[in-house]
Amino acid sequence: MRRFTYRLFRATASLSSRAERRLTRAGKLALAALGAAGILGFDTNRTLGYQAFTFLLALFVLAFAWRFGFRPRLRARRVLPRFLTAGEPAAYRVVFTNDGGRLERGLALLENTADPWPSFEEFQTAREPGEARRNWFDRKVGYPRWDWLVRRNQVALMSPQPLPPLPPGDAGEVRIEFTPRRRGRLELTSVTLARPDPLGLLNALCTIPLPGSLLVLPKRYPMPALGLPGPRRYQRGGVALAQSVGDSEEFVSLRDYRPGDPLRRIHWKSLARVGRPVVKEYQDEFFVRHALVLDTFTDDAGGERFEDAVSVAASIACAVQTQDSLLDLLFVGPETYCFTAGRGLSDTERLLEVLAGVRVCRDKPFRTLHHAVLERQDALSACVAVLLAWDEPRRQFVRDLRALGTPVRAFVIVEAGAPAGEAAGEVHRLEAGRVAEGLRHL
Amino acid sequence: MTTPPLLVGAAVCFWGWETGLSLPALFVATLLEGSRVLRWRLELSPSDWNRVSDVCALLLAGSGLYLFATSGALRTVGGPRAFTLLLQRLPLIVALLVACQAYSTAGRVPASAFFWALRRRAARGEATPGALDLGYPYVVLCVLSASAANVRTPTFYAGLCALAAWALWRERSRRFHPLAWAGLLTAAVALGWAGQALLHGAQEKLEQVVFEYIFSLVRRADTDPFRSTTAIGRLGELKFSDRILLRVDPGPGVRPPFLLREASYNVYNSTVWFATGAAFAPVQAEADGATWRFGAAPGPARSVGVAAYLPRGRGMLALPNGAFEVGSLAAVGVSRNALGAVRVDEGLGLVSYRARFGGASVLDGPPGAVEDTVRAPESAVVSRLAAELDLAAKPPSERLAVVARFFATNFRYRTFQRGRPAGAAPLEDFLLRARAGHCEYFATATVLLLRAAGVPARYATGYAVQEWSALERTYVVRARHAHSWALAWVDGAWRDLDTTPPVWVDEEAGTPLLESLTDLWALAEYLVARWRYGEPDGGPARWLGWLLVPLGLLLGWRLYRRRRVGPGPAAAAAPPRAPQPGEDSEFYLIERELTRAGLGRRPAEAASAWLRRLREAGAPVAAAEALPGILALHYRYRFDPVGLGAGERAALRSRVEAWLDTHAATAGES
Repeated sequence: MRRFTYRLFRATASLSSRAERRLTRAGKLALAALGAAGILGFDTNRTLGYQAFTFLLALFVLAFAWRFGFRPRLRARRVLPRFLTAGEPAAYRVVFTNDGGRLERGLALLENTADPWPSFEEFQTAREPGEARRNWFDRKVGYPRWDWLVRRNQVALMSPQPLPPLPPGDAGEVRIEFTPRRRGRLELTSVTLARPDPLGLLNALCTIPLPGSLLVLPKRYPMPALGLPGPRRYQRGGVALAQSVGDSEEFVSLRDYRPGDPLRRIHWKSLARVGRPVVKEYQDEFFVRHALVLDTFTDDAGGERFEDAVSVAASIACAVQTQDSLLDLLFVGPETYCFTAGRGLSDTERLLEVLAGVRVCRDKPFRTLHHAVLERQDALSACVAVLLAWDEPRRQFVRDLRALGTPVRAFVIVEAGAPAGEAAGEVHRLEAGRVAEGLRHL
Repeated sequence: MTTPPLLVGAAVCFWGWETGLSLPALFVATLLEGSRVLRWRLELSPSDWNRVSDVCALLLAGSGLYLFATSGALRTVGGPRAFTLLLQRLPLIVALLVACQAYSTAGRVPASAFFWALRRRAARGEATPGALDLGYPYVVLCVLSASAANVRTPTFYAGLCALAAWALWRERSRRFHPLAWAGLLTAAVALGWAGQALLHGAQEKLEQVVFEYIFSLVRRADTDPFRSTTAIGRLGELKFSDRILLRVDPGPGVRPPFLLREASYNVYNSTVWFATGAAFAPVQAEADGATWRFGAAPGPARSVGVAAYLPRGRGMLALPNGAFEVGSLAAVGVSRNALGAVRVDEGLGLVSYRARFGGASVLDGPPGAVEDTVRAPESAVVSRLAAELDLAAKPPSERLAVVARFFATNFRYRTFQRGRPAGAAPLEDFLLRARAGHCEYFATATVLLLRAAGVPARYATGYAVQEWSALERTYVVRARHAHSWALAWVDGAWRDLDTTPPVWVDEEAGTPLLESLTDLWALAEYLVARWRYGEPDGGPARWLGWLLVPLGLLLGWRLYRRRRVGPGPAAAAAPPRAPQPGEDSEFYLIERELTRAGLGRRPAEAASAWLRRLREAGAPVAAAEALPGILALHYRYRFDPVGLGAGERAALRSRVEAWLDTHAATAGES
């Protein structure tokens, strides 16, 4: 039954999306009128509605016949920005070159993005926020859930844009303006050119494959400097660990070989020069390294709290100065991930890119993250945790870190209007939906 | 409003014109189009919109209730129903909402005004879908409401096309020349007009087919021999079906057109003919069981073959006047009455028979008193006519000719009947004023006129045989060939007198294309029926036997193939079984010897269990103490993955040989 409703929703949504592209505004109204006339004129003896029906049907038949033979010879190229930010207006350009021999005018551009339809597993397991409050029918059939999943998967909606007249051999561009609705990767598959028939009812479509993608970064909020405490720690691998492979501490000097020195440290050039073994001497590095721990353990996939947690993490990643320190972003997805930004390594933008793609983790317990952080604890100066709840495992996590001497600043995203609990002194409470306000008051 | 100037006004005026509500329409049109001139606007809040929408909904509900409650009083025969009336008034009901849109600052109606769910969402502060522009939908509503007026003139279609063109002009694609737009629109207008005619025709045809089908399901038999309700006095157009009822094969000397009678009636009473004194009596079949004779052959006879469907195996036989014998009729029971009707009481769904006829009718009884009687209200008019024609003074056979001439010269054939003066009997109107009608008028009037002239007469119903079907290579009789005529008793015999003008055949002809299609279907049906009900003289059934030949060949081929591809090659293709380890163990020789001695292993008995059994039973086994050791070696040779070493293998062999020798020796001794 569930699979049937899923297929039904998917087929209907797909059909409606195709109809949306195929019909113009006048076409939609004419189609509705055709349906109404068909119903009213069902008995041809009782009303003349059937005359309206046949006339509208004739209009559609002719408009449909007119759509054949539309093959414009246009080349397209997108000029895309590197990043976009969720909730902020964005724009890019599509440049068209007319390789054909005739003037192309009266065309419209439709951007094609990857299908936003959720998979059957997603449809079956996901729970819309507030689904428990819905009536029996909605819960059973699941249309609101489907609708919510589709909206969640739609990173952005782009409206059709008119193409400027393109004389043969000439080029023109279309500026596409839109506002990304959520973070993530916006996959652009192709562009479609729409040409309405002379009556203006149906579009003839011609699709040009033009793959591309846009990365929409999470929303970020201004926040004061965190001022994380914590001493410098020994960093295995040294400063330049990003530029080399293996153990490459900071080079200090050359000295004579002493029995027990590894052969790989012998400086062969000096050996050739002085005739006795000389080895390179290195010095271990100590500096500041922070961890940004993002809690991904929730059943509320795509819910507002999780999105807010990602935004808070993104805001913190931008707020931490990584010129002189390292910042580890730690979270658990299908496996445990640790991305580092800072001196000589990748920059904050990389962290934001990673955060743009973070998904919730349902199949592992919070303990996984707990262990992952403790494994790295000896290298960490301080830890910033963005948590989705303040329950016992999370309290234990913060307690353990503090017991090991690592200062922890924890942010807990709570439901809007949730009562202030015992967490007041230990962590920062941020209400979902009012995160910007909470961060400003830090 | 975003519609082109004056479009909404024109649509409203068009609606008013079609529905006869011109005055309200003019007011609404002025109100709506006035918004383009007047500059002042209303600032309407969402709750204001909700109220306006609610008022419209209440108006709609109230109008609906009123119309449904009073539609009985308002409706004339064939007039519009309450729903249609409501539809006609819909533009007036929603005009308030459209006017509010026209005079509002927003210029659109919020979607939440129409749905309670959206209102609740808006009240909760959640996002709701945007606003709607009712301009174009209102134009569509006006056109559809105008269609409900059902004014069947081309004006509706013309107005519809004009309004559509007006609305589409602005939406046209600028890529194409306006001439392309105009050409396409013109083509659509022509196509739509042809389509609507086709659709209407198709519905009429469908209704007729469905009616006929339902009628064929509910009717008891084709013809009621006791009562014939005529269409005399019915107004409007009579419709006839093209369905083929009979297939007729005229014998030598019989030339169409001729009449086949199913029943005759003798009493006329207010448009209905009755058969009185017409009780049916069974007829005994001849010795062959298929011939039914009604009287002696009156002399030289001719014959006509007929194939007819009998619903549920019962029905009247269509016979020529003077029929005295029906042959080749596969029926169990046949009966006849004194008015010449012959009925099959129990037979097949399709009967084929050959009627022999000639000379005076032996089926019809002589006239009684009722065949001379003309009742009121027709008696006065037919007596007067008979007197005018001076029939009484002429000999009987000449009276028939005069009557036939009277109808042929003064009357026309017509299936459509207009209204008649109040108080006038239909037949009186036919004879004195209209002088046009269908065959039932002519036949009834002829019978009554003959009776008034002193000639006993009856009313006969049946079919006229006249259409040759090139498809079936036979004469066919369709439902529209049903006919009625008069029977006149002249010189001691009943004679057919058909006064209907012969043009009736042409006037009732169907459309050739459709008819040829339905004829093909009818032929298929007929062939199936012939096959189903058997054909004593061959028919398609005799060819069916030949179908068995390819079927038999196919079966033989399948059997042959099965034998060939069955176990033979499959067995040959099976790979040889890999030798099992320990299969060559000498222990099996011991087993064979013991089996030979009658101490064999039972099925599925383990070798150790077998030896234990023999030991416990005290079986006479030679050197029984050596056997457990041999068995242990055999087990290892047979089942141990490591197997036996060369020495152990030799030991097994030698110990078995020793045992065999001992066994042979013991057996020799015994």
